[in-house]
Formats: sequence, C-alpha cells, structure tokens
Amino acid sequence: MAPTKQAPTRQAITLKGSTNLVTEFFKFAANTILFQRGVYPADDFHMVKKYGQTVLVTQDLALENYLERILKQVNKWLLTGSVTQLVLAIISKDSRTTLERWVFDINLVEQPTNTSEPAPVKPEAEIQAEIRNILKQIVSTVTFLPVIDEPTVFNILTYTTESADVPADEWVDTDPLAIEASKSQQVKLRNFSTDVHRIEAMVAYRYEG
Amino acid sequence: MSYLPKTPSRHHRSRSETKTPLTPSLTSGLNALSLGFPRQGSSSPAKTKADVSINPFLASRPASPVRRVQSRPASPIKRATSGSLHVSDSLQRQASSGVIRKGGVESRIDVITRDYVPPRTQKRSRSQPNRDTRDRFITARDMTEEVTATLDMMSLNPQSASPGHTARLAAATGVPINRRVLAYHEPPPPSSSDPLLAQARELVRPLYARPGALPTSTSSSTGKSRKISTTPERVLDAPGMLDDFYLNIVAWGAQNVLAVALAENTYLWRAESGDVVQLGEMPEGTYASALDFSMDGQYLGVGSGSGAVELWDVETQTKLRTMTGHSTQVGCLSWNQHVLTSGCGDGSIWHHDVRVARHKVGELTGHVGEVCGLKWRSDGELLASGGNDNVVNIWDGRIGDVAPGTRAGARWTKRNHTAAVKAIAWCPWQPSLLASGGGTSDATIHIWNTTTGARLHSVVTPSQVTSLQWSPHKKEFLSTHGYPTNAVMVHAYPSMEKVVEIRDAHDSRVLYSAISPNGDVVCTGAGDENLKFWRVWEVPKVKKGKEKEGSRSGTGSTSSGILSIR
Repeated sequence: MAPTKQAPTRQAITLKGSTNLVTEFFKFAANTILFQRGVYPADDFHMVKKYGQTVLVTQDLALENYLERILKQVNKWLLTGSVTQLVLAIISKDSRTTLERWVFDINLVEQPTNTSEPAPVKPEAEIQAEIRNILKQIVSTVTFLPVIDEPTVFNILTYTTESADVPADEWVDTDPLAIEASKSQQVKLRNFSTDVHRIEAMVAYRYEG
Repeated sequence: MSYLPKTPSRHHRSRSETKTPLTPSLTSGLNALSLGFPRQGSSSPAKTKADVSINPFLASRPASPVRRVQSRPASPIKRATSGSLHVSDSLQRQASSGVIRKGGVESRIDVITRDYVPPRTQKRSRSQPNRDTRDRFITARDMTEEVTATLDMMSLNPQSASPGHTARLAAATGVPINRRVLAYHEPPPPSSSDPLLAQARELVRPLYARPGALPTSTSSSTGKSRKISTTPERVLDAPGMLDDFYLNIVAWGAQNVLAVALAENTYLWRAESGDVVQLGEMPEGTYASALDFSMDGQYLGVGSGSGAVELWDVETQTKLRTMTGHSTQVGCLSWNQHVLTSGCGDGSIWHHDVRVARHKVGELTGHVGEVCGLKWRSDGELLASGGNDNVVNIWDGRIGDVAPGTRAGARWTKRNHTAAVKAIAWCPWQPSLLASGGGTSDATIHIWNTTTGARLHSVVTPSQVTSLQWSPHKKEFLSTHGYPTNAVMVHAYPSMEKVVEIRDAHDSRVLYSAISPNGDVVCTGAGDENLKFWRVWEVPKVKKGKEKEGSRSGTGSTSSGILSIR
C-alpha cells in the first residue's frame, strides 16, 4: 500500500473564514479600545484568553449586544466586499467633539490571477501573531495618547461602497466625525492580513499642542 | 453661489469651511445623488428625522452645507472631472481618515481663487513645487494621470476592471462610485454600572484584594525542591463548630487523640483507629470554649463559656472535676504538668492545680483585654499569653514562688502587635524562641527571643494570623490565616521565606490548628465545619532511634518526658 499522500493540514482560508476572522478581530479591537481609553469603566470588563494573550472584553450585556449587532452587519458587508473602512470614534459626551478616531482600513488582497499556482497559504499562527501585535499596539498607545478627563461616548462608523446593501432603518448616513487637520495627530499602527483581507489600523487624535 | 458651478475650487473652499464630509461632497462633483447625508441615505424622510433626533452624532451636523449641496443641480460631467482634478490623493486620504485640512495649501489657494478664476490652460506658479499635486494651477498634467488620480481618490474596488475603463465609465455615466459613511441608528448604550456603585466598589477593592496573588490558589511557589501537598490528606466533618476567633477548640494530645469541641459537645477522634467518641457535654446554656490535653495526653481540660474549667479523663471518658471561679468565658487553656492554666475573658490568667481541692494556685493579671492565646513552654519555665489588648506577655513559670493573690508582673510585655494576639507558639528546638501573630488589622508574625526580650524577626502576612505551629523537626513554622486568603502558610526560619501557601484551605477563615504528636500532620478547623489534615512535614526516619534517649521531641505517641499527674 502506497503511503497516503500527506493531506494539507489546512486549506487556504476562505472568504467566509477570513471574514469571520476579521470580524472577530474588530470585536476584540473595539473592546480593547473601549477599555484602554476608559470609555466604559474598567469594572465592566473581564479578562479573556484570546490570540495567546489576555484581552479585556466587556461583560456589560447591553454593550455586548450592541457590538454584536454592528459586527453582524459588518460581517455581511465584508462578505460582499462592500465595506472599506471601519472607524471607532471617541467623542466627548458633553461637547460632542471627536477626540479620537480609530480607523481600520479594509482592503481586499488582490489574488494574482495570472499564475496557475495558488498563492502560498498564510499560516494561521502568523495571522494571529499579527493581530496580537495590533492589539498590543492599541494597548501601548495609551502612552502617547492624551489623557481623556471628560466622560466620553463612542460611535462606530462604517465606510461602505455606494452599492452596499444597507438595512434602511438600522444604518443611517452620518457625519464622519472628523477631527480638523490642524488639531490632529495621526499614528499609523500595524496591519494584518489574511489571504483575503488586509486590515490597516490607524489612530487620529485631537492634539492642540 | 451664482458662480459656484463654474469654479470647482469654490466648491472646495466651502467644504473645508463647513467641515462637510469630503467624500460625499466629492461625490456631488460626480453626481449629486451620491451625497451621504441622512435625508437621502434613508428610505423614508420621516424615519430619518426620528433617527436624527435619536442619534446625537447626526444632530451635530450643520444644516446649511447640506442644503447648499442638495440644491446644487446634478453636475455636468466635465465639471466632475475638472473638479476632481484638484483633489489629490493626499486630500482624499485626509478625507477618508476623517481629517480635513484647514488652513492647508489648498485653502490658501482657494482664497486666491476667490478673486481670480484662472483659465484652465494658463500655466502659472511654476515656482510652486511640482510635488504638490494639490496645486490646481499646474494644469500640465496629462489626462491619464488625472484619471488615475480620480480613481484613486474614489477608492474604487481594485478588483473591478482596468482603472482607465472604470474611470471612463464613471465619467460617462456619472455612476456614483463612492463610499458612504454609515453609523448604526442607535447610540451605544451607556455604562450600566452605577457610578456610585463603581466608586463604592473601588473603595472596598483593597478588602477583596489578595496581595501577592499566586497564579493559582493551590500552587506552591518557592525554589525549594520539597513538595508539600496542597490538598488535605483527610477531611472530617465537624458540624456545629463555632466560628469564633477567641476560642481554641482543637487539641491533639500525646496519645494521638484529637479533641474537638462542637458547640457544647466535645468529641475525641483517635487518629490510629479513626474512631470517634463523644467525650461529654457542657451544661445547658454554655459551650466548650477551650481544650487542651495534659502533657501525657491522659487528661483533657475543657474551658466553658460560663467560666468553668472541667477536667476529663480521656481513657474512661468521665469528668473528674469542675473548677469554677472565672466570671466569663475561658478562651484558652495550657497545661504544665499538674497545673492547668486558663485565660479568661476578663483578662485574668489563673493557675489551677488539678490535684488539690483549692485549685486556684496563682493569678496573673497583666491583660486588660480577653486572653485569647496561652502557651506554656515545654519545660515549664515560661508562659506566654496574648490578649485582645494587643499585648504579648511572657511570664515566669515559677508559680511556687507566688503566693495566692500575689500579683506577679510579666517578665516581658510586648506591645508591637496592633490587633488581638491569638496565635502563640513556642519553638520546640530553640527554647527561647516564641512566635506570635496578630489579628486582622495587624496580620504580622513576630518572633521573639524570650531570654533577651528582643524581637528577632517579623513577617507581614496577607490576613489575620489565627494560629501558629512550629515544626518539631524542621526549621519551619506554620501559620493559619483568616479572611480573605483563608490560607495555611509554611514559613522557613530564620529566613522567614514562604515555603508554601495553601490558599483557601477552608471555605471560611481558618481559626484553629493542632499539630500531631509526631509532628508531621497539622489539623486545622474553621467555621466551614470541617477539620482538615495537612501533611506538611515529614518525620525524619534516621533520627527516630537516637531520640528515644529522652528528649521530649514528641516523635512517638508517648514520650518519656511526660510526667503523670496521678
């Protein structure tokens, strides 16, 4: 009996798999930001092991459901490739000015069509390491981001293509909650990519120095 | 407004002034329909109105630019391309990153434009750096570049066909190829936790904190190679065991019999056979508050809540006598040969000679609070007592010299503790050493040299020290602790290093402990109504033969040092 051919331990990541991976990343990234930037009290968060490290995730049911609903739609949009950017804006509760914008660019990785060979599969461990690096970077940003004294709220914006299928009564067009260029600083964070998506992270914050 | 359609730059200026989202405005250059603002993005206007009122972020949007943009007629294609000419990649990037450059190069240019609209073909500003693609005055760029720039700006799906084709398509049809900025219709929920509650929680956090937390509650951590089991060897049910810091109701005698008081009942557990017998019961209305075996393990002294001290024969399980006189609870007892010393709630310490009818042979008054720790040194030279007045007293044991009624002063009085001192233990292998441990607000173990009166070592523990036990064979001692760690800890002496810590040894604070006569097992009792046996130390096997010689190290169940009181 001929030795059986070594089956590939892991298939190339599918669009669906990649979408879920990206969505999951957004969940943890959003939670990390909300915790690190003190949008919600630290009491609301509990530690969860994820990506080989400890991530703080909210245990406030209302917030959990809220993020869940948003990410469900983002997931749908990701599947159709109609979302190009996700923004988590931190806004002053009283003055309604945008203090920070956490921007996640979503790019589709171009598949080389001319080659017959399929692109080398990116190991999941590598993807996880990249995600871990982004999350760690988010944590580390507190060292240079201005201290927020005032109570804040957040809002999640999605930049979609015009053709995106938008549930009319759930999603509304809105102001991008921009920060004026003269009063803002931007820091590019790391990025991560699956075989399908490439996510680039960036933070812009109000800095009137 | 009148010349607005003619000058795309004017269009830009108004945008940067009003902070209108750049991307939708750009779209307006292509097609007014693609504007991203609520009235158009939503299906029904009425619904959107409601949404606007719900969503605070939408409400903050200025109304005027919306109206202006809306009123603008659908742009001609030519304008669309020319309008896009002046919007460079970088500007687009700013827009998508939510930053609008105000007072930047383009706005300065815009100001000029206001006065003078240059013809498209005119070449000017040669001095301007070529790199600044935002300079709309440089019109010498070829069209393909412009188109790609436009494309880039619109962030077309890269998977769509060739850029040129898409651009032509876009230009020709005015199809909105752009992004929409969408937000979820409801604002994120406010934090459900009450700020007052959160603050209160913050304040009590130190109480819940378990300093020096270990990775797991049952792991032992030291560089030592010795492994101490962090699970009890045996657990006995002790229903009705009182949860009172000021009692001492577990005793382990030289006959290898463990006595435990469960409310008014006293039980004996024979370690060899595992038999349990009920020794006796306290009179109605009171409870057993202190137990101690005589040095030979034949007799058991039982203190009661009413102040009586009873003497029981372990072998026959009969009560020999009751010694009354104390006014309140007898919280601790300690034997020295035929003398049973009792510590009382009123702060007095009495010596009872159990052989004579007039049993009270001495009284030591040095405590103003309840006496809760009392231990004779094994040679009977010294007596140590600890009280609720945070004081440790060390008394001279020569009671014969003290006539009844005489008030003998303590040899040493130590006031270093800041809480009740219940835990008292004499070191079996270095007679001058005494260990004492303080209660909740102190939580410190002090080691004293009773010869010189010096404090040799101190170690701060995470929680109240409820009892101390020295190992007879090893240079170590064990301490039991109360809330919040409920731990049993073993410390090395004299380094005071923590050898092992068993967190949550009991479900409630560990209050009582007793060491087996051969010194390998420690029994602990707690308010969770369990007795747990911990094999902490090993009995050195080689030494066994040598020690038969007569030192009362207590390695066997009987020892030659024991003096019968009969």
